[in-house]
Amino acid sequence: MNASLNTPSVTEEAQNKTMKHNCEHRAECMKIIQAILDDEATDAEKDHFRENMDKCIPCIEAYRLEKCIKDSLSLKIQKKPCPQSILDTIITKINS
Amino acid sequence: MSVAMSETLTNNGYTDDLRYEVFNREFMPHIDSMYNFAFRLTMDEDDANDLVQDTYLKAFRFISSFEQGTNAKAWLFRILKNSFINDYRKKSKEPSKVDYQEVETTYNSEEASDTTYTVDLRADAVQELIGDEVANALNALPVDFRTVIILCDIEGFTYEEMAKILDIPIGTVRSRLHRARNLLKEKLKSYASSMGYDS
Repeated sequence: MNASLNTPSVTEEAQNKTMKHNCEHRAECMKIIQAILDDEATDAEKDHFRENMDKCIPCIEAYRLEKCIKDSLSLKIQKKPCPQSILDTIITKINS
Repeated sequence: MSVAMSETLTNNGYTDDLRYEVFNREFMPHIDSMYNFAFRLTMDEDDANDLVQDTYLKAFRFISSFEQGTNAKAWLFRILKNSFINDYRKKSKEPSKVDYQEVETTYNSEEASDTTYTVDLRADAVQELIGDEVANALNALPVDFRTVIILCDIEGFTYEEMAKILDIPIGTVRSRLHRARNLLKEKLKSYASSMGYDS
């Protein structure tokens, strides 16, 4: 994915010319992007996303960044198992 | 629902055997998630141990108010969050701890200026970060902002479940999450810069 982004094809370069390089709805789009990634978007937000996301470079970059952060949080952060001693204490106490 | 609720509150329908059965079947499978939530809230292993124990003992004591068939994990997280606020946060002398109301006021007043807010951070730089760096960035956030990110992005709760766990409206969940993510991006940016990932 990185390779294709670093070396855009002729088609991609042609498409870039018709794409927006500034987003005039930045704040609203950021909220929509997060709602989409959280699977919490309304139908109107989904429609807006479908219609605009492939035309706006700042929104595409923002989507990639937000998704990357969300994935990093869920996949990279270590999850520790609860210590057995806590389990034992809880079971002992509820049985006493 | 009100009929079921009143039955639950008056008779509860919980025999002793059922209390243990529900506890083991519905509550125990979430103990690792609860432990990690407790640790990320308190940032201290001993406090996390105590908080998880207290929460599970409270859950057992008040099991009759758990409506079977509803989301046990959200119910447990709510008890843990309330125990943290009532019992642990009070004890803490950490100056960075921020009052919920204070946080709400702060970011609501900043929301207007927040709308044009962007952090110059690239996805590629975030991809370079290892788990500990992401965890450190998360841990550097004030606890109220840290909490919404943990609930949403690590534990996968819906906005509606988060609203119930935190006792706030869904609109507030959305805006607090949005603000929390902007703050997290600032922290991630610092880490990425210090590691040279964003050059």
